[in-house]
Amino acid sequence: MSRAVAFLTRRKGGERWDWTDVFTFVWLGSAVFIMFGPALWLVLSSFKSPAQLSEFPPTLLPYEAQTVVVEGFDRPLPLFTVTDEAGTRTLAEVRRVGTVAQMVDPENPGEVERVNIANRTPVREVGFSWGNYLDPFLRFDFLTYTKNSIFVTGVATLITLLTNSMAAFALSKYEFRGRGFVVVLIIATLMIPLSVILVPLYSIVSGVGLINSLWGVILPTVATPTGVFLLRQYMLTIPDELLEAARMDHASEWQIYWRIVLPLTAPALAVLAIFSVVWRWNDFLWPLIVLSRQEVYTLQVGLNAYAGELNVQWHYLLAMTVITMIPVVLVFIFLQRFITAGIAGTGLK
Amino acid sequence: MTGVKGMLGAVVTAPLGALARVLDAPLRLWQRLTGQGGMVAFFLLPNMAIFTIFVLLPLVINVAYSMTTGAALFLPERTYVGAAQYERLLRCADYTNLATCQEDQFWIALRNTGTFVVLQVSLLIVAATITALILNRALRALSFWRAVFFFPVLLSPVVVGLIWRWILDRNGVLNAALVGMGMDPVNWLLERNYAFSAAIGVTIWAHLGFFALILLAGLQAIPRDLYEAAEMDGTKPARVFWRITLPLLMPNMLVVIVLALIRAVQVFDEAYVLTGGGPGTATLFLTQYIYEVGFASLLKNPGLAAAASILMGGVLILLTLLQLALGKRNERKGRLK
Amino acid sequence: MGRIQLHDIRKSFGAVDVLKGIDLTINEGELVVFVGPSGCGKSTLLRMIAGLDKPTSGRIEIDGVDVTPRSAADRGLAMVFQSYALYPHMTVRANMAFGLQNTKMPKPEIDARIAEAARMLEIEPLLERRPGQLSGGQRQRVAIGRAIVRRPTAFLLDEPLSNLDAELRVSMRAELSALHERLGATMIHVTHDQVEAMTMADRIVVLRAGKVEQVDTPLNLFNRPANLFVAGFIGAPGMNLWAGQARGGSVHLESGAHLPLPAGVAVPDGPLTFGIRPQHLRIEAGGPLRAEVRLVEALGPESVVHANLGEGGTLLAVLPGQPDLARGAVIELGYDAQAVHLFGADGQRVA
Repeated sequence: MSRAVAFLTRRKGGERWDWTDVFTFVWLGSAVFIMFGPALWLVLSSFKSPAQLSEFPPTLLPYEAQTVVVEGFDRPLPLFTVTDEAGTRTLAEVRRVGTVAQMVDPENPGEVERVNIANRTPVREVGFSWGNYLDPFLRFDFLTYTKNSIFVTGVATLITLLTNSMAAFALSKYEFRGRGFVVVLIIATLMIPLSVILVPLYSIVSGVGLINSLWGVILPTVATPTGVFLLRQYMLTIPDELLEAARMDHASEWQIYWRIVLPLTAPALAVLAIFSVVWRWNDFLWPLIVLSRQEVYTLQVGLNAYAGELNVQWHYLLAMTVITMIPVVLVFIFLQRFITAGIAGTGLK
Repeated sequence: MTGVKGMLGAVVTAPLGALARVLDAPLRLWQRLTGQGGMVAFFLLPNMAIFTIFVLLPLVINVAYSMTTGAALFLPERTYVGAAQYERLLRCADYTNLATCQEDQFWIALRNTGTFVVLQVSLLIVAATITALILNRALRALSFWRAVFFFPVLLSPVVVGLIWRWILDRNGVLNAALVGMGMDPVNWLLERNYAFSAAIGVTIWAHLGFFALILLAGLQAIPRDLYEAAEMDGTKPARVFWRITLPLLMPNMLVVIVLALIRAVQVFDEAYVLTGGGPGTATLFLTQYIYEVGFASLLKNPGLAAAASILMGGVLILLTLLQLALGKRNERKGRLK
Repeated sequence: MGRIQLHDIRKSFGAVDVLKGIDLTINEGELVVFVGPSGCGKSTLLRMIAGLDKPTSGRIEIDGVDVTPRSAADRGLAMVFQSYALYPHMTVRANMAFGLQNTKMPKPEIDARIAEAARMLEIEPLLERRPGQLSGGQRQRVAIGRAIVRRPTAFLLDEPLSNLDAELRVSMRAELSALHERLGATMIHVTHDQVEAMTMADRIVVLRAGKVEQVDTPLNLFNRPANLFVAGFIGAPGMNLWAGQARGGSVHLESGAHLPLPAGVAVPDGPLTFGIRPQHLRIEAGGPLRAEVRLVEALGPESVVHANLGEGGTLLAVLPGQPDLARGAVIELGYDAQAVHLFGADGQRVA
């Protein structure tokens, strides 16, 4: 961060502050706020109780009302700071009737005071509503959604890596009739998005009986032309002499694939793996169409369904949004350089 | 970084390696029986089978599908109607008044998408270019600043939609800020123009980093000595930008524009979660139209959805061809250099 | 073990004939060098023997067995590639073990063979390193080691020294020859460097445009080149070759000189090419060749003289010591009659 500040205060060449320096300063400064702010706000909000979420204007940090155990009362009583003619003091609420609350001094529980609620504010300190995170897993189906998302992401990525690398190997290291045609076909479909083939794809997936099955989500996504294309470009740079040496070394073609070519393609495979994980974790439209039963929902579909309910329970929804975000943020933090290099090099996303 | 790479590579290849060892003996036999041709077929088969069934076949079927009507799911059971679905999509009594169109929802979606594409792409490109130029100045802490802009790119569209729905809520933090500054709160997602702007703003927020990154790569590829030469000549900074930076950035810029167009035409996820197409039809875009006509509405008409998706596909193919052509041209230029 | 016979090997890529019928026998334990200008088909021929490419027609026999239909792995040969083709993701030891593991050889045997080869090549300290951490010369040794552990019937070496710097190349050349002595195995070595060919080979196969021009020992190639191509290709600097007419017992060069034919050589009158190596010319007052000095390259122990031989003809002479010759000086040169090479109009050797 200090380096960021150092950069911000760095000026272009000379002594004078150029307008471009000011502009850079403003642009980057607001970027930190606009880019990080929303996600940060989401995280902070996700720890607030329902009552706090409905407050306007909202507080920055999540707070919890303080309670106190008072002699003679079964349950803990909420604490308030009361300010009126009698001065400022801390009292616990016994019950509330209309605009008047019956309150006691925790030190002196025998005496009940009547206080106008306009004259008091709850005593709060920063506290996190962990229940927002626990309840959806315990009481709702979010555990199932999470498991489904992990299954789809993991299996789809593994199949993608295996089938794409095999095809890329055949298309980069063997001469055969029709090779050019297959390569052109793959490049041609690089940019065909799912949204163009939604309807017939649905009929096919339905025809093979995969509606409401996680496999129906996985299979249409794994034969990505992008993956084949990326891996093939990389494999073309592996010298053919290596393969010939392996052939002289009694290696079968299959061994050449997995003992020689695959390990040498590891960097490209890693890029594809990262992207595949992010893609499959984030997929929304296709799962939304294929999955119509709660028990097969992925997190994205589950979140959307939850957000679409008439009475949105924001405290749970926000917490689950954070959960959904976590894997991608982890990927981002640890593999950022990698991803940015991958994008800059291939225009892949 | 190589450590991470190596580790990742190992993690990725280890399970595949175990599988590979099991397969070795049967595949040796297969190779002996069918030779190299048989092995090529084996390598291609899984990917190409999935590709054919789930990408190629739907592409072909889609055309046939768009010429049928009825609620039946499978093509052979559907009734052939020729170009009727296209006619229904495109027919209007009076083309100056969308309400007179037979399929007015389609036209609304088309108009919304068109407006969205023009506004979103131009704003996005300008913002991405400025960002790339600024990041290109930054020699220090570049990876931090890159991360700032890139961070939302990997977030799922649903998450992006929900984050902003929460911020733009009537009782959300943005309105709190407005009230704090003494202004009136705004019903961001329930007023047509605000909702539409929100869809534009949020998609820019989500994708800015991606495009800035590609442009930054283009900027970094411009040789430093060109700038030094210009400095020696006493060229003014503005002139350097217009005469050196921009022309040399142009190939990347064109690719980025086409890519942004392709994405914008398909806009769906973020906007759908954010506004659900509303208020009314203010943010109904083409993909949502296809989704709803094909799957979600009570009056399902898959044939109509197929026809609409083919029209959209046509636009995308044109854009893709444009991109490939630009890519080819860049490649040629690169070789000449 | 290790006798390789080629019968009428032909190879075409489309309409292009790369090899035009090669017949050749390589004897057991021989070190044969294929040499020729680039594009002559020498590497293609080697790959054909290796089994990496299939001939369009013809037959390859190893120890009397027709191996033409066999795959590369089943021919019992080992190859050292120009780029070495070491597996970059494996250690040196794993590189050498890979081929043996593929034949399901027991591990102790593999270890023993690697240890032996590593000792022979002095690469024991490198066994756990990866190719990326080795110098060019070390990689070269590992590539040879990978071939040795296989105990092949023959070694095929495809320009193995071309990626080394000049100094290393000389020492590796000597080492390869020593290794051949020691292993006594058949080796086929492809190179475009005729010095490499001359210094290493038992026999040299000179190839041009898909055809064998001559097969013989290095000295025989030097002393009795079978045709104009070999005469010009072997030896540095190249042989002086002058077109002329044989008439009445002497050769009349186009540049005007009359050169008497050696005693006992009878050629019919008509066009021929007169050849003499630069090393076989000497300054001799009244000698048959008169030339005007254009350039003298003094190398110390000897001097290379470039001279004009009247009418556009040029002459190259390698003279011992440091003769005092100035540019423009006219010198007269002679030679021994038995050093003369004569080639007929068809380019073939006459005498």
